Amino acid sequence: MQGPELGVQADDIEAPEIEQEPKQEVLENKDVRFVLFQTVIKQLSPKDSHIAQILSLHCALIWMFLMFLMPPVSLVFQVVVQRVHVDGLGRTKEDLLTYEIAEVFRAKNLIDVMRKSHEARQKLLRLGIFRKVEVVIDTSRGEDALPNGLDVTFEVTELRRMTGSYNTMVGNNEGSMVLGLKLPNVLGRAEKLTFQFSYGTKETSYGLSFFKPQPGHFERNISLNVYKVTGQFPWSSLRETDRGVSAELSFPVWKTNQTLKWEGVWRELGCLARTASFAVREESGHSLKSSLSHAMVIDTRNSSILPRKGGLLKIHQELAGYTGGDASFLKEDFEIQLNKTLFWDSVLSASLWGGLLLPIGDKPTSIADRFYLGGPTSIRGFSMYSMGPQSEGDYLGGEAYWAGGLHLYTPLPFRPGRGGFGDLFRTHFFLNAGNLCNLNYGEGPQAHLKKLAECIRWSYGLGIVLRLGNIARLELNYCIPMGVQSGDRICDGVQFGAGIRFL
Amino acid sequence: MSLAADAFVSQMAAAEPWPENATLYQPLKEDQILLSDCASSLAVQAYLRMCDLPVQVVCKANAEYMSPSGKIPFIHVGNQVVSELGPIVQFTKAKGHSLSDGLDDVQRAEMKAYMELVNNMLLTAELYIQWCDDATAAEISRPRYSSPYSWPLSNILAYQKQWEVRRKMNAIGWGGKTLEQVYEDVSQCCQALSQRLGTQPYFFNKQPTELDALVFGHLFTILTTRLTSTELAERIKSYSNLLSFCRRIEQSYFESKRVSPLKD
Repeated sequence: MQGPELGVQADDIEAPEIEQEPKQEVLENKDVRFVLFQTVIKQLSPKDSHIAQILSLHCALIWMFLMFLMPPVSLVFQVVVQRVHVDGLGRTKEDLLTYEIAEVFRAKNLIDVMRKSHEARQKLLRLGIFRKVEVVIDTSRGEDALPNGLDVTFEVTELRRMTGSYNTMVGNNEGSMVLGLKLPNVLGRAEKLTFQFSYGTKETSYGLSFFKPQPGHFERNISLNVYKVTGQFPWSSLRETDRGVSAELSFPVWKTNQTLKWEGVWRELGCLARTASFAVREESGHSLKSSLSHAMVIDTRNSSILPRKGGLLKIHQELAGYTGGDASFLKEDFEIQLNKTLFWDSVLSASLWGGLLLPIGDKPTSIADRFYLGGPTSIRGFSMYSMGPQSEGDYLGGEAYWAGGLHLYTPLPFRPGRGGFGDLFRTHFFLNAGNLCNLNYGEGPQAHLKKLAECIRWSYGLGIVLRLGNIARLELNYCIPMGVQSGDRICDGVQFGAGIRFL
Repeated sequence: MSLAADAFVSQMAAAEPWPENATLYQPLKEDQILLSDCASSLAVQAYLRMCDLPVQVVCKANAEYMSPSGKIPFIHVGNQVVSELGPIVQFTKAKGHSLSDGLDDVQRAEMKAYMELVNNMLLTAELYIQWCDDATAAEISRPRYSSPYSWPLSNILAYQKQWEVRRKMNAIGWGGKTLEQVYEDVSQCCQALSQRLGTQPYFFNKQPTELDALVFGHLFTILTTRLTSTELAERIKSYSNLLSFCRRIEQSYFESKRVSPLKD
């Protein structure tokens, strides 16, 4: 790849016509600036270091070194990136990489080259198609080499064409075997094909998904999915089997991330047991949902689990029935979370959720579309999804809900294991409140709001939170539920919770 | 139904009398219900009328999936749900309503044998004609069965059902039969029933039993349902005592109460 020839200032640097081998020799003969340059090169092409992270650390250290300790030397150093090589390409198409590394050509001085190379490396790694990316910066060689020309080489190692995994899972009176296949770079432009198949003693499910980003804009992507999932919901005595196809388009707009989705699902509902209530039995059978949905997310938090600062706004809306199928409704829901760091490493976090489900036409809403509330991930102190409208002990869900939470997270008392294992834990004090109900449409928004403000369920307590990676968290809480209505199932005292999304 | 569930249902049932709001569920009468389901539903309705137990008939598009056994019809009594004629007979018996109490053991065994004959021959023949005869399946069964659903679910469910019935037919050895052989089986079954009935008003003298309800349900439905061919009804029409048997039950249990099962 040939770089643009700009900013050539031949008198700034002497032509380093050297071979790679006799570096040590050359080093002694050149001036200070050149010695520095050679050191950088040496640091950047470590033959002995194989781990990419170490390399990037080196980059950063040297960059800091140059920035803060020797600004006069580094800043005068005008260079031109003449060529960028990518070594180790097999299946990956070159045009995909052109977008990712284009910025490197625009670098005008050494710091720039290193910074932009580092950024390009991050971009390449984000594509998820390389196991390892190393950057080597060297002086240009050959006939057309400029005196201040540089060659940047990305040494990449591609992921295997196909990776597989096999797990067995046991739990809840069920054992299952999960087989996963992943083709990380199936067509050569960072397309990803994943297949997962789970064969259990009770249920079989599978999912096939194809993901394609737009070259140069990884956030703009489409994904297509085909799946079958079976879920058992003991709080409703309901079993649901979904077979569906979906197409999804994601793209960033300003600071938001937008997702447009079409989904067609064949849903089969059935009773989990003979003793299921008749209200659940009446919902049994097949239905087809075809829906268009839109989601908008603004996330400025520093981490999705136990953030210390920043906020989250998520708005999701779904319109079903206009593209076929026999479920017709409009569903709106939102999620807001704000975090603020207070004294002594403690964090105050406030969240609010809400949602509304409006049936379109005469048909009532399905039990599978309604909202559920309660449990260790939403309003603590209540059993999982066990509040609101119910029939003979089976919870039927509601058409409107809101839930709010106020948390104070603090480090563990006396901070055991500080700086290590102990940092995965937090203690928290919480106050949760919310309500879930059905709305009689036609009464007007005033009546609806009044209904949601009546008989509020709330709870408070304290507990310990364990962060699992950056995706999930575990909680062990002592909860005191309040405002319990007849029919609600509570969990007074110690409650354990595990999940991804928490109020 | 398992023995334990049986025992449980009987025990629970005995505790309460027959309520006023008992309901029988079946598929939509106009657009959806098929010959075999209609016959089974009519048999249960006839049985409950013979027992003088009031029941309200409700048509639901998802009746098949609401039923605990996946079969039509089922009744919802109090907080109990019971499907198919056999379990319903046991259920009513536990509540103190029975039509076969007056029979001795031999007669009871005979009654059960004839009921099996009807289920194995007439019901299976109805299923065969509905789903294995290509003309009937394409013109009547698939469009009616799938009528409550939207495309493409309608096609999926109809073919799924057809495949399921055909697999069952292959399993019981009916897969290789021709339509003519099936009609012949129906004739034989009717002949056996006709001979057993003779000149009596009901199969066991003057009192109707569940066998009478079952035979009435199937024969009356076959006689009054329009199919692609009238051959099936013609076979039955050659047994005059069965025809008058059907008319008798219709008059005494349905028309007297001014509710015809197929006209309301």
